[in-house]
Amino acid sequence: MTVTSGKSTQRSGVVAICGNPNSGKTTIFNAITGLNQQVGNYPGVTVEKVTGRFESDLNPGQKLTLVDIPGSYSLSAFTPDEYIAAAVLFGEFDGQRPPDAIICVIDATQLERGFYLLLQILQIGCPTVVAVNMIDLAQQGGIRINFKRLSRALGGIPVVPVIGNRRKGIDKLKRETANAIDRSFTGVTRIFDSTTEEVMQTLVEQCSDHRRSRAQYLRVIFDENGQAEKQYVRDEGRRVIPWIEQGRRRIRDKFGSLVTAETGALTYRAEELHRLVVRKSESAQTTVSEKIDKYLLHPLLGPVVLVLLMVLVFQSIFSWAAPLMDAIDGAFSWLAGGVEATMVDGPLRSLLTDGVIGGVGSVLIFIPQIAILFIFIAILEDSGFMPRAAFLVDRMFRWCGLSGKSFIPMLSSFACAVPGIMATRTIEDRKLRLITIMVAPLMTCSARLPVYAIMIAAFIPYKTYLGIFNLQGLVLTMLYLLGIATAVVVSYILKKTFLKTERGTFMMEMPTYKLPTLRSIGIRVLNRLKSFLLRAGTIILAITVIIWALSYYPRSADVTHEFNIRKAEAISNFARSQALLASRIDALTTGQSPEVGSAAEHITESFDRALDFTQLEGIRTELIAEYSSFPELVETLYRARYLMLDHNQSITRIANEKAGAHIRGSFLGIVGRQIEPLFEPLGWDWKITVSVLAAFPAREVIIATLGTIYNLGTEIEVQSSSLIEKMRNAVWEDGPDKGKAVFSPAVAISIMVFFALCCQCGATLVTIRQETASWIYSVATFVYMTALAYLFAFTSFQIMRGAGF
Amino acid sequence: MTPLSKMLPGQRGTVIGFTRDSKIARRLLELGIVPGRTVVYLRNAPLRDPMEVQVGSCCLSLRHSEASLVTVKLDK
Repeated sequence: MTVTSGKSTQRSGVVAICGNPNSGKTTIFNAITGLNQQVGNYPGVTVEKVTGRFESDLNPGQKLTLVDIPGSYSLSAFTPDEYIAAAVLFGEFDGQRPPDAIICVIDATQLERGFYLLLQILQIGCPTVVAVNMIDLAQQGGIRINFKRLSRALGGIPVVPVIGNRRKGIDKLKRETANAIDRSFTGVTRIFDSTTEEVMQTLVEQCSDHRRSRAQYLRVIFDENGQAEKQYVRDEGRRVIPWIEQGRRRIRDKFGSLVTAETGALTYRAEELHRLVVRKSESAQTTVSEKIDKYLLHPLLGPVVLVLLMVLVFQSIFSWAAPLMDAIDGAFSWLAGGVEATMVDGPLRSLLTDGVIGGVGSVLIFIPQIAILFIFIAILEDSGFMPRAAFLVDRMFRWCGLSGKSFIPMLSSFACAVPGIMATRTIEDRKLRLITIMVAPLMTCSARLPVYAIMIAAFIPYKTYLGIFNLQGLVLTMLYLLGIATAVVVSYILKKTFLKTERGTFMMEMPTYKLPTLRSIGIRVLNRLKSFLLRAGTIILAITVIIWALSYYPRSADVTHEFNIRKAEAISNFARSQALLASRIDALTTGQSPEVGSAAEHITESFDRALDFTQLEGIRTELIAEYSSFPELVETLYRARYLMLDHNQSITRIANEKAGAHIRGSFLGIVGRQIEPLFEPLGWDWKITVSVLAAFPAREVIIATLGTIYNLGTEIEVQSSSLIEKMRNAVWEDGPDKGKAVFSPAVAISIMVFFALCCQCGATLVTIRQETASWIYSVATFVYMTALAYLFAFTSFQIMRGAGF
Repeated sequence: MTPLSKMLPGQRGTVIGFTRDSKIARRLLELGIVPGRTVVYLRNAPLRDPMEVQVGSCCLSLRHSEASLVTVKLDK
């Protein structure tokens, strides 16, 4: 046993982990690296790249980088995922060092298919370690594997039995991997017939250098018009084309077709290996999975279960998350309050409270929903249900240009388009994936709900039709349907025009059901949250600060001065009136009986309980009856409390008017009034326009902005009746409708329709950029959604107004 | 000999080969639809397409258009 062979141990190394989809590759990846992971994208393609670090107890201190490459069935790539996998394994991928070793994961219950890929991988000539995963399931199925014999048959490369989800065999796998890099020993390669070998030899001889592996020459020969052939011709010149053609002719003459020649040899050797190393006690193969599928894939029962499951996911996203979201909201309000109390008024305080805490807080509030959603997605994926859901809906989704595989991303997008877009990673077809990404933001996400809630509460009358249908509920439902219907139409158009999908395929494995483990779900959810938090802390924070700055500056000193004078006046007026009343009360109580003194005390206490004018009037009536012998005392103390309440109110009003004047004079306000004419056809005044514009980074922002603009300060809760009141009372400042109410049901509908269709979400656009590795799709999504939003808002407003609403 | 797509749910047969030498045929081979193996037609999806078959211990879903590439010999 060589622990370290002659040559010195490398200080670092790259290990690629590959295997069939559903072979448990990612589970083993997680087991090896734990939380030590980075999620990124392979540049230029729409596939996620995950890397992690680990070291083995064989060479402590040797840092190995593990690259999780997409699952594949063959090096003859069929999907974009598999192109990446092959390119990384061949060392052809820009920005990714060629691997120093390969871990090939094989599902113990699907050995033949695993061997097929393994035999191709051995042709690369890179040190390879075989991890035979899920040996427990194989044993339950009566499959006994002779690992020693398998290792020998493969030319002596290490074969490690593993149970990934229970972390069995992981340490040995790490050790063997480190060892394999040191020994740089490769396994069997001679599995093809003499003709193929000769053809390969002629192509090698045509070559000016020897950097290609046997695996790559096989791709040149067997993949007609494939990437490998094109690259080979590019490198060696067109003179090699006849050599390729002649070689293929020889192979066709012998085997009938290229596919038969390669797959025949690989399948033959895979079956031979299988016979050699597996002893199977024959058992009737009606598996547990098949029993479950009798119900879950039943033509009638299946869809019913699927719908129930969706309802459960939705319900939990909305109801379970609510208390946690309230808690986060509370925490941020508390934090903002604390900052407000400890800091002096000024730009820095405003930046911290209104900008950073208000803006980032409104994003972080979605953490519970995202966590719950990802827990569900992780469970559904790990258990093996996802391919079944895609199977059930495939036909229906195909009508509108999508595929069954678009189902999960669309479902997720009802909570938030960000995880929804991330979930499109399971779609192999690039164009299908792009269509799904571009229509996912049309699903009604949770950030639209507060906007709908406040507009409907303010302007849609509470009317009931036929006893059960409520107008407010109907409007909300219509808005959800509007999003879905638009998505159907848009994806149909995209499919027919820019993203013409060829007749897509749906060849997919239905993996056996597995019980998800807490550990693997935990790791996945935590990693997702980590990248979400990272984004909130960087890009979203930046956008928020920009919007804050635009609505804060230039803060005119004149305006501040003017309102400070008004505030000072109000305070001095109050002090004067209060002094007058105090002397009056003195006159009424001094030198009187103790009875008067205690009455005055009690009356003052009672009035102090009044927090608004209505309460004050009520208490006054009570006290007049109770103290009928001291009418003047009651009246004077009443006026003292009245003065206090009135003063507080005017101080708040002045502060709010000041905020309003500042926002009118801010860059955002100036721009808003400039572009008001552009949005007048939608029925909006400059305040709505500015609020909607400010909400482009994140939809929820509109509520805070409307609040500020309508002289209310920024701490407006969704159901705040005072914002609703202010909106109802708002009138046009100028123009033909001067003096008339700004808001009407028509305007409210126009705003909601705009929000239903518009892509007002910086996070979504950034995610699209990340997922597609190109700004083009972000820009395209933004442009088409905004254009549709304007068009539909315009149309609905004009129709509604024409109908007299 | 019939195309796999013309079988009836519940029937089983032996894979003979492919009608065309295409990329789809290649992928079906790599997924385990290998000549000589037994294939069982399990069921259709609710709107008839796609379909689910079993080869060995592995279940696959594929559309009828893809299944029509596969020729099978029905087991008696």
